[in-house]
Amino acid sequence: MSADPSCHGAPASGARPSGTAPRDVEGTLTIALAGRPNSGKSSLYNALTGGDAHVGNYPGITVDILEGNVTLPSGAHAVIADLPGFYSVEATVDKATDEGVARAFLDTLKGSGRPLLVVQVLDPTRLALGLRLTAELLRAKLPLVVVLTHKDVLGREGHTVDVAALSDAIGAPVILVDARDRTTKAAVLAAVEDHHREAARAQGSGMLLDPARIARTVVKDVGNATELRRRRLTARLDSVLLHPIVGPVLFVGIMALLFAAVFLVADPAASLMDKLLGLARAQLAGLLGKNLFTSFLADGLLGGAGTVLAFMPQIVILTVALELLEASGYLARGAFLVDRLLRLLGLSGRSFLPLLMGHACAVPAIAATRIVRDPRERLTTILVLPLMTCSARLPTYGLVLATFFAHRSALFRSFVFVGLYFAGIATALVASLVLRRTATKGKGLPLVLEIPSYRVPQARVVARKAGQSARRFLRDVGTVIVATSAVLWVLLTVPMPGAKAGTDIERSVAATIGRTIEPVTRPAGFDWRIDVGLIGSFGAREVMVGTMGVIFGVENASDDPAPLTTRLREAKQSDGSSAYSTRTGLALLAFFVLACQCMSTVAAIRRETGSWRWPAFVVAYTYALGYVAAVLVYQVSAFFGVR
Amino acid sequence: MTVMVLADARDGRRVRITSVDLEGEAAAWLGAVGLHEGAELVVLRRAVLGGPLHVRSGGGGEFAVAREVAGLIRVVAIDGESERDRS
Repeated sequence: MSADPSCHGAPASGARPSGTAPRDVEGTLTIALAGRPNSGKSSLYNALTGGDAHVGNYPGITVDILEGNVTLPSGAHAVIADLPGFYSVEATVDKATDEGVARAFLDTLKGSGRPLLVVQVLDPTRLALGLRLTAELLRAKLPLVVVLTHKDVLGREGHTVDVAALSDAIGAPVILVDARDRTTKAAVLAAVEDHHREAARAQGSGMLLDPARIARTVVKDVGNATELRRRRLTARLDSVLLHPIVGPVLFVGIMALLFAAVFLVADPAASLMDKLLGLARAQLAGLLGKNLFTSFLADGLLGGAGTVLAFMPQIVILTVALELLEASGYLARGAFLVDRLLRLLGLSGRSFLPLLMGHACAVPAIAATRIVRDPRERLTTILVLPLMTCSARLPTYGLVLATFFAHRSALFRSFVFVGLYFAGIATALVASLVLRRTATKGKGLPLVLEIPSYRVPQARVVARKAGQSARRFLRDVGTVIVATSAVLWVLLTVPMPGAKAGTDIERSVAATIGRTIEPVTRPAGFDWRIDVGLIGSFGAREVMVGTMGVIFGVENASDDPAPLTTRLREAKQSDGSSAYSTRTGLALLAFFVLACQCMSTVAAIRRETGSWRWPAFVVAYTYALGYVAAVLVYQVSAFFGVR
Repeated sequence: MTVMVLADARDGRRVRITSVDLEGEAAAWLGAVGLHEGAELVVLRRAVLGGPLHVRSGGGGEFAVAREVAGLIRVVAIDGESERDRS
């Protein structure tokens, strides 16, 4: 999971999606980082490669196998692969799960005969649990070096580990490190190369390995009041956060606060950007005069990409908030709290993490469903994930609220905003209930989930995640949205052959297409301009706001530049009446809550399900729901006196 | 010693797993996670309305275990007093 709201984010540099064959470099040593979820693999990967692997505090967080190059002490090159967390290589598992991916990777590499060494990352504060996997890796005859992480935590807990005794007991090299220490990289790579060089040296068989006994023997309690205090603090926190009544109330409150914060903090930023864009357009017109090129720059590029840029603060805030919740260990507790509710709907607490991640971006969330062991539950989660309010919807939500609810208080608008999030969640839950009784019918696997310790999130990691999401958003704006805006500007400027009636823009190619489907969308209050926006945002919903910016920029090119919100409010139909009302805004929101306007999500579903049937199903049912909901909202709201 | 299922163990009770009534693969995976015969557990709490149990393993880990799974794990109490009684 990456709690990464930057939509459709590619893996970090050097990363290779899991499930593909390992890199084919004959003779190059592959160092596979293996271990239980939350053992510290990703932190060690970062220390060894300086790469950007995600560091999370939740079981099964690494779903893509990240790969990085390192130089060993001898000068030889090696590849480091960060495997997903897994508990066992012996228990048969579904290939589509994290464990299946890790196991397939090890089997493939071992079978290929290429040099392989497994570094088992082991949390020494949970030594007996980790040694069960050690025994399995040894029984699988995989060359093994054990790296004990969390040296600092171990010390704070008042324990020491007799590393030499542990090494003797298991029959493999063991080193104790703190992943944040600068000496860690050299120590681990030296141990790896030593063991690789002495491959012929006998290694333990793991046959008679008794994890509990070894842990009792090698871990010494040196006495530390800090550990007692930490345990008491954890117990106190859990007694509140997991309280049968208080816990769920706090959980809903935290989620609502998270979504409201995204709106309340980012709303002023978006308004400011809107004003700045208006000024920039006026400056451009003043500098270059009113001509076609100015129109392209001001109405096409600034109106499109510039308008979307205003929503970057929301996306960064969402990234930071989700990262804090995840790294602190709260998300696993959330899974504990919502498991029963999700079970009633045919899912389990394991689905909670991908579903929450879906509020950032559905693409990594779909990959994160690999932590769900039950195939039917995993498929159901994938099919309902596009209903979660991803960050790409935020620009449209922000625009509609600022346009049609500007006269209401910020608190009211934030309530509507949070309501949209919960509308997506409620629809997804109902959809999963229906799916589990129809398309994905069958008995599910009940929850067993490791609950990690509370940890203070590392500011460096959180800041890096925020930076990544900002960069990816900028990349999207700089490529997809700029290109779409430019194409749309052309389609809105070039007249449709044979079109004669109306203004210049009404005779354009884009307007003609929009008018063709207008009869279908008119019951939802959408005119040809919104229809053009919907067509433009079929592949990526974040394009919608930019598209509207271009349409109204071109349409009102001769007027004084005004913010897009004002232009939308003042938009007229050909007969001079108002084009849009609050009802139109509500209908548009309803459509955006439900419709899967995201080709990256469609591609991710295709990749995870191995079939075009399921992505086609998702597009069909979400668009049908979106259309019906938009029509209902538009028509029914009139009965309640909404104008 | 009375054998009971984990789901019936009171909060704060220390127990030892005596058997797991699950089929091969599921039992093996549960064992790899840390819930295997001989493992010692403390029941910390349970979620409302039949939600999962929160248990701490003697190996150091904490787990959320669905009530359905806890109903298949047979345990015995390993001392007369619970962790809660002691504190």
